[in-house]
Amino acid sequence: MIIGLEEYLALGALLFSLGFYIALSKKNAVGVLMGVELMLNAVNLTLIAFSRFSTSDITLSTQVFVIFIIAVAAAEVAVGLALILVVYRNRQTINVDRTTLLKG
Amino acid sequence: MDLEYQLIVPEFVLATLATLVVAGALIFRGRVRQEFWGYATAGALLILAILTAVFYWDTNDDFANVLAVDHFTVLFRVFFLGIAFFTVLAAIQFAGDRLKNHGEFYGLILFATLGMMLLGAARELLTAYLALELLSFSFYILVGFNKLNPFSNEGSLKYMLLGAFSSALMLYGISLIYGVTGSTTYSAIDPDGSGIRSIAGQLANFTGVGGDSSLPDPDAVRPGLLIGLILITAGLGFKVSAVPFHQWTPDAYQGAPLPITAFLSAGGKAAAFAFFLRLYSEAFLPVAAEWAWFVAILAAVTMITGNLMALQQTNLKRLMAYSSISQVGYLLVGIVALNAETIGQSQDAAAALVLHLIGYVATNIAVFTAIIAFYNRTGRDDIVDVRGLAERQPFLAFVLAAGLFSLAGMPLFAGFATKFIVFQVAFSNGFLWLGAIGVTASFVSLYYYLMVIKQMYLYEPEGTDRARFRVPRPMALAIALLVAGVFFLGLYPTPLFDVINESTAGLFQQAIETSASAVR
Repeated sequence: MIIGLEEYLALGALLFSLGFYIALSKKNAVGVLMGVELMLNAVNLTLIAFSRFSTSDITLSTQVFVIFIIAVAAAEVAVGLALILVVYRNRQTINVDRTTLLKG
Repeated sequence: MDLEYQLIVPEFVLATLATLVVAGALIFRGRVRQEFWGYATAGALLILAILTAVFYWDTNDDFANVLAVDHFTVLFRVFFLGIAFFTVLAAIQFAGDRLKNHGEFYGLILFATLGMMLLGAARELLTAYLALELLSFSFYILVGFNKLNPFSNEGSLKYMLLGAFSSALMLYGISLIYGVTGSTTYSAIDPDGSGIRSIAGQLANFTGVGGDSSLPDPDAVRPGLLIGLILITAGLGFKVSAVPFHQWTPDAYQGAPLPITAFLSAGGKAAAFAFFLRLYSEAFLPVAAEWAWFVAILAAVTMITGNLMALQQTNLKRLMAYSSISQVGYLLVGIVALNAETIGQSQDAAAALVLHLIGYVATNIAVFTAIIAFYNRTGRDDIVDVRGLAERQPFLAFVLAAGLFSLAGMPLFAGFATKFIVFQVAFSNGFLWLGAIGVTASFVSLYYYLMVIKQMYLYEPEGTDRARFRVPRPMALAIALLVAGVFFLGLYPTPLFDVINESTAGLFQQAIETSASAVR
């Protein structure tokens, strides 16, 4: 079996859906972040697959895009974990269902 | 490739300034008064805004095909710098009383402003994404800046989780759009004349007008295009807080330090809409019919839900959050109206959108500055707390009343004129039902704005603290300027409207060229 564009896209869509589900269903803030990471990696896979199979002559820009997404995702985790840590220090919980001071 | 760095000098200056403020506050810790950094930042922002307006207005160029430096960019550069200026001015006393680490505070405000300026200028999706993340990350930290306050923590945690989620949604949409069009550049108006493959050029194939036909088959890739558009719209919906993606907004607004709430509701929204408008008019206009229905539903739901939820709020910050959500609904009507029969009509929609955006932002900053001045004195932010404000501080009460009337869309104020033009465009571009919902929703909104005004004017002051108080001079001056602007816009919007018309015209250059070549 030859692995073509469709297979990569299907895998990307599957990963994205999994990440989507995790991000929406997890109660733990770190779990939500992990779901988001999975979604971002699905994006990377899709972009790389498109650039590999593209007829366009500027595929390099897509690969640069992916590198930037990886870098930004790392920064996102840094900011996210810092905020989660602060919440944990003040509240002793990172369960997003229990941080409900603000509502209405 | 020769890069014309002189085109993006304001961005360089702003980045340097932000670094200097952060580093300076660290180096001179304890030796310089904390307020100094606030006044220095505000002064630098004002000077930069004026210089940018003077030196760049006539530029119509392009930086390496990723940043457009045209009238639209310059208008928004000056607009964002102005927003940051007024925010910093309003924040100085608040930060002195209630926050630590002023250097980082003002530095992050500057970095967020840099993100906004790049976002308004970006005409390439990677650049836009990076600018959006610079803006969002600065805001995540700023919302949680009061790190000993659990409300502030919680607001920023929710904002960060949903923000990261929405970025991922938008990125997946971007990857699909790339797959369909093979490009991340919005449109190919290239001053150097080299033919670059662009999203707009490729999408023109779908309508059969122009564009090169290296695309496989429009029907085969249509699902990808549609899902991509929906995901990008959903991601942007999170950023501008359109219903049903608005859940983070009231929490982040209530948790954030008040000046940041003001900045978020003014600058954050304005930047997201600058991006929204440029992307949808420059890149996605050829397939407007594919996304208009989706944005139209968003706009309608946002106007209705935002106004209805605002009715039951008891906290001023939350009330302003829902009020800003409903304003997003009116602004989205402008995006929907881009889907018109002629390009001229689309241009009208873009101009109306920007005009309403500027009117809304000016009013909102005025209202928030007044709330901050009130909060500095009392430390309270519930609606019942403003009871009898007209006796304690008539000027603030007047400003709040004027601002809220303007947000409700009463004649005399900016809100009326600008909203009127938005709905007029919606009507003439064939979105009667959307305009009708908007007008009805505006009437509903009058009720909750009047609730606040009633508390201020019809009740006696209550509680232990009912003495009159003074507003600091710089803040009073800023408020007076903004309110004067709101009245001026309401009575005579023509000069600003002409400027905006000139700036938004550039967005439709490729669309005009494509349709001209199709006629030929």
